[in-house]
Amino acid sequence: MRPYELTLAGAAAAIAAGELSPAELTDSVLRRADEVAGVLNPYVSLRHEEARRAAERAGRELAAGRGRGPLHGIPLALKDLVDVKGQPTSASSRVRDGHLAAEDSVVAARLAAAGAVLLGKAHTHEFAYGLTTPQTRNAWAADRVAGGSSGGSAVAVAAGAATFAIGTDTGGSIRVPAALNGVVGLKPSHGLVPTRGVTSLSWSLDHVGPLTRTVEDAALVLAALTGQEYAPLPDGDLAGLRVGVPVNHYFDHVTPEVETAVRDAVGRLRDLGAELVDVHIPMTRYVQAVQWGLMVPEASANHERTLRTTPELYGDDVRVLLEAGELFHAGDYLRAQRARTLMRREWVRLFEGVDVVVAPAVPTAAVRAGQESVSWPDGTVESVPDAYVRLSAPANITGLPALTVPVGRDGAGLPLGMQLIGGPGGERTALRAGRAYERTRPDAGSLAPEAGSPPAALAV
Amino acid sequence: MSSLEFGPRDAARWAARAGLPLPDERLDLVAATARHIHAVVATLRELDLTGVEPTPAGAEVRDAAV
Repeated sequence: MRPYELTLAGAAAAIAAGELSPAELTDSVLRRADEVAGVLNPYVSLRHEEARRAAERAGRELAAGRGRGPLHGIPLALKDLVDVKGQPTSASSRVRDGHLAAEDSVVAARLAAAGAVLLGKAHTHEFAYGLTTPQTRNAWAADRVAGGSSGGSAVAVAAGAATFAIGTDTGGSIRVPAALNGVVGLKPSHGLVPTRGVTSLSWSLDHVGPLTRTVEDAALVLAALTGQEYAPLPDGDLAGLRVGVPVNHYFDHVTPEVETAVRDAVGRLRDLGAELVDVHIPMTRYVQAVQWGLMVPEASANHERTLRTTPELYGDDVRVLLEAGELFHAGDYLRAQRARTLMRREWVRLFEGVDVVVAPAVPTAAVRAGQESVSWPDGTVESVPDAYVRLSAPANITGLPALTVPVGRDGAGLPLGMQLIGGPGGERTALRAGRAYERTRPDAGSLAPEAGSPPAALAV
Repeated sequence: MSSLEFGPRDAARWAARAGLPLPDERLDLVAATARHIHAVVATLRELDLTGVEPTPAGAEVRDAAV
C-alpha cells in the first residue's frame, strides 16, 4: 500500500510505529495530488515546499519525543474559506483577488497545534453559495459534479490527494459532496467547532467539520477541532441503541437505488443490535422556507460591501441570489427565526424516543456536470441544488449533528451515502453507529478507483 | 406584497431603498429571483408563531452541556 492510500488512523499508526515518516507520507500525498490535479482540480493552490518543510519539522519533533497526537504529521486540505495567516482565502471567487489573511482561523490554529501538515486550499462553490463546485470534478466520474460547496475537500480525500480535509456546511455542504464522492463527512452541532476566521455564508446555519475516509478518522479530527483529547469510539454491537427510521420526508423523492442502499444499511444496524423505531419528521413542509428565510438575507448581509463595489466579479448564479437577498423583508427573516424555534423544539422532542435518526444523505448520486434539474416519477421537478439541500437542511436549521457514511454505489458505480443525525450534543452517538455500520463493509475507507473514471464492471 | 405583483419596477424601488445600485438590465432577473424566494418563504405565514421567540445561535451546544 502506498502512503497516500492510508487512512488517517492507518497513517498515524504507521508513523507511531516508526514505519513511515511525515515527510514520506506528505511527499506521497503531494505526488498523488499532482497526478489528479489535471482531471479533478480539487485544489485552488498546493503549497509543496511549505508542506514538505512542515512535514520535516513534524518528523524532527517526533524523533525528539515531542509527539502531538494522532494528527501529527498528517497532511490535510482546508476548504478555501478557512483563513491561514499570510495566505489568501480565495473563496474560489475573483472578488477575493489579492486577499491575504491577517490571522489564523481557530480551526487552522488548532490543526497546526495538533501537528497536521497543510497541503493547500481546496475549491469551494463560490463563497459556499451553491451545491456543485463547478471548478472541480467528481472523483469517481469526471463528467459528474463534485457536489458542494466543499467539493474540493471531498474530491481531494476521495482521490487520495489529502489524508483528510476540512469543509463547511450551511445547507449540506460537507455531507453532500462527501456522499457524492464516497467519503465520510461530519457536520457537528452548531457552535461546537468555532467559525472565527472562516468566511461566513450564513452565520446561524454555518458549521465547520471534517471530511475523511472513515468514521474513526472523522472522530480523530473532531477531537482536534474541538481541542479535546481523542477518546476511542466503543467497539462492539449496537445493543440498546434506538434508531429512528423516518416514515416521511427522507425516503420521498429519492432514487430506488438510494432507498435500497440506505434500507440495507438500516438492516445492518438492526443486525448489530439496534432497535428500529418509526419516526415522523416534523414540519417538513417548512424546511426550505426556513432554510431560505435564514440563509438568503444573512448571505446578502455578509456580502453587503462587495456587492456594491465589485458586483461584476461574482459568478452569475451567486450575484443574482445576493442581489435578490437585498430585497428580503425583515418580517420574513424574523418569521424564519421563530419557525426554527418550533422546528428545533419538535426535533428535540423526537429525540426523546430515539438516539439517532438514519436517513439518505442525498436523494440521488452525483448528477452530470451542467445538469440543472432532477425529475421524479410523480412529475415533480426540482433544481439540482434544491434536491441536494432537501435532506441536509433540517440538521442545519436545528443545529443537530449529522454524519454521512458511504453505503455503496448505484448501477453506474457512483457512491451513495446515508445520514446519521444525532440528538442535541449527540456527535458521539452518531459516530458510534456509523463506525459499527462501517465495520460491516469490506470496502470501508477505500479510495475512488481511478481518478475520474468509475469501475467499468459496474458501469451500465 | 403578492409574489405575482413584484416586478422589475418594484425591484428597482426596493434596491434603491436598500442602497444597492441595480442596473436596468438586471431588474427582470432579480425580480424573478426575488419572486421565487418570496413564494418559498411565504409558506411560513401559515404558522401560528404567537409567543415563539427566535432561537439564539449556539443553543444546541449549551443544551448539550446541561
